Amino acid sequence: MNTKNWLWWLLTILVLLGIVLGLWVATKRIDYTWRWNRVPQYFFYQDKDVKKTVIDGTVTKIEQKGKTSIITVHNSDNEDNVFIVDTETVNLDVDDYLMEDDTVGAILDWKAGPLVTGLWVTLWISALASIIGLVIGVVTGLCRVSKNLTLRQLSITYIELIRGTPLLVQLFIFYFFLGTVLDIGRLASGIFALAIFAGAYVAEIIRAGIQSIPKGQMEAARSLGMNVPQAMIYIILPQAFKRTLPPLAGQFISLIKDSSLVSVIAITDLTKSGREVITSTFAVFEIWFVVAFLYLILTFSLSQVVAWVERRLAVSD
Amino acid sequence: MIKTVDLEKIFVGRGQTVRAVDGITTHIKQGEVVVVIGPSGSGKSTYLRCLNGLETLTGGHVHVDGIDLANRKTDMNKIRREVGMVFQQFNLFPHKTVLENLVLAQMKVRKRKRIDAEKKARELLEKVGIAEKETNYPSQLSGGQQQRVAIARALAMDPKVMLFDEPTSALDPEMVGEVLEVMKQLAREGMTMVVVTHEMGFAREVADRVLFMDYGKLVEEGTPEHFFIEPQEERAKLFLRQVL
Ligand SMILES: Nc1ncnc2c1ncn2[C@@H]1O[C@H](COP(=O)(O)OP(=O)(O)OP(=O)(O)O)[C@@H](O)[C@H]1O
Ligand SMILES: [Mg+2]
Repeated sequence: MNTKNWLWWLLTILVLLGIVLGLWVATKRIDYTWRWNRVPQYFFYQDKDVKKTVIDGTVTKIEQKGKTSIITVHNSDNEDNVFIVDTETVNLDVDDYLMEDDTVGAILDWKAGPLVTGLWVTLWISALASIIGLVIGVVTGLCRVSKNLTLRQLSITYIELIRGTPLLVQLFIFYFFLGTVLDIGRLASGIFALAIFAGAYVAEIIRAGIQSIPKGQMEAARSLGMNVPQAMIYIILPQAFKRTLPPLAGQFISLIKDSSLVSVIAITDLTKSGREVITSTFAVFEIWFVVAFLYLILTFSLSQVVAWVERRLAVSD
Repeated sequence: MIKTVDLEKIFVGRGQTVRAVDGITTHIKQGEVVVVIGPSGSGKSTYLRCLNGLETLTGGHVHVDGIDLANRKTDMNKIRREVGMVFQQFNLFPHKTVLENLVLAQMKVRKRKRIDAEKKARELLEKVGIAEKETNYPSQLSGGQQQRVAIARALAMDPKVMLFDEPTSALDPEMVGEVLEVMKQLAREGMTMVVVTHEMGFAREVADRVLFMDYGKLVEEGTPEHFFIEPQEERAKLFLRQVL
């Protein structure tokens, strides 16, 4: 069987190559010029902080200290101006005469471009919303299986409201209605909307997880004298957590992707950064491909982490 | 030790009412081994579960060491730690090692230090004959071993009474003996025990008293000699003819 597998591998690769080729031909026909070289600068770029003279003067001293140079300019007011700049940007000799506004040198600095800052914003918004969503979800899930009717009904209401309406609409409600009424900023609105959205789904996952644990576990714990919270914390929830890990991971992966919707309330996440970069580069195809790839890195990393945790937890199977 | 007075448990569900336990009055004395037998569905498990408050009573009273479980003010958790229970399905905690299964409740409920709890756990594992398995997970043990761990887990709480609900029914025949042996040893040491079982051999050999239940009622009660040799009630005779 293994000997035949490589043929199928080959077929897969050929099919994928065929698709890529087809896309390439298609873009050729609409005369699209690919400008991949424009993309990297939106990840990182070199910032140049140019130092200029304010009034005329003469360079009296150039002192080189490793990569930086200290340049002293004696100006026409009889004062010494000292500039600290990067050596590689200096193009002066001692006794050079500088006019007002002439460049002495510059300080070079690598800075994160919009795609990186956008990725970072997406990452921490998703992380924060996931954590809050998990807490909300666990609490709601516990309410959902509680003996108290009001707690049960409240949790069902919440779950049904959230699952029955589109996230985009919820985001608008959070931003325009709650954001205004409670006076919270767009970031907080966005994070809470995502967290509350995820919480409803997490709650159902947690409920199913708790209910999938055999009744005997709770009975064994109780008959050892544990109270309900102890039994939940030490016996039921750890087992439920293990069982719900795959669906929970799926939920948080969805959350990362859904977080792209916060760009509509003007949060500069990865998606919005991508849109902004496009307005200045016109490299529409390239940027959207890159943005998609960056999301893929986030979701793929998360699923790898979860797979690792699952393997760790599998020791008791 | 445990007294029940007109104990009653009625299940209501889907328009049906089941009188699972229907007015049982018993007195289980300190150091006594009581075996409960009866046909399937006669309410043996329910009776047993009432004794440690796993079922809420519909009527009557259960006194454990003089404390009434029917009283709403009674702290059930305090009672339960004095009453050990062993289940048909073992109900070990699958995410914990054997040792942790024994240690957890000691620490959380009895508030023992880890060192003391582990010492106690190891002694008990030794006693039930599986000391070498302490780092294994329950899924890595045979049924008989799991049930012995479950017995040790209950014993770790230093209970005054042990309840057994068909502890050998889920076991392969070749493992029944090892579990019964542990139970016999407990009985010899003077543990108060209430055992629901279909093992008539065990009942004859170990029981001080046999309770025969049918349709939620206590039909006949007596020493094994009396019960197995000259039962009075028709239903008991019928049952014995079927199982012996
Ligand atoms: N949680 C429950 N809800 C409704 N009915 C129940 C419940 N538990 C038990 N019963 C009913 O109560 C009756 C007694 O059940 P119980 O389990 O106590 O019998 P048992 O003597 O232990 O039987 P077995 O030998 O099969 O274990 C049965 O008719 C059963 O269907
Ligand atoms: Mg039963």
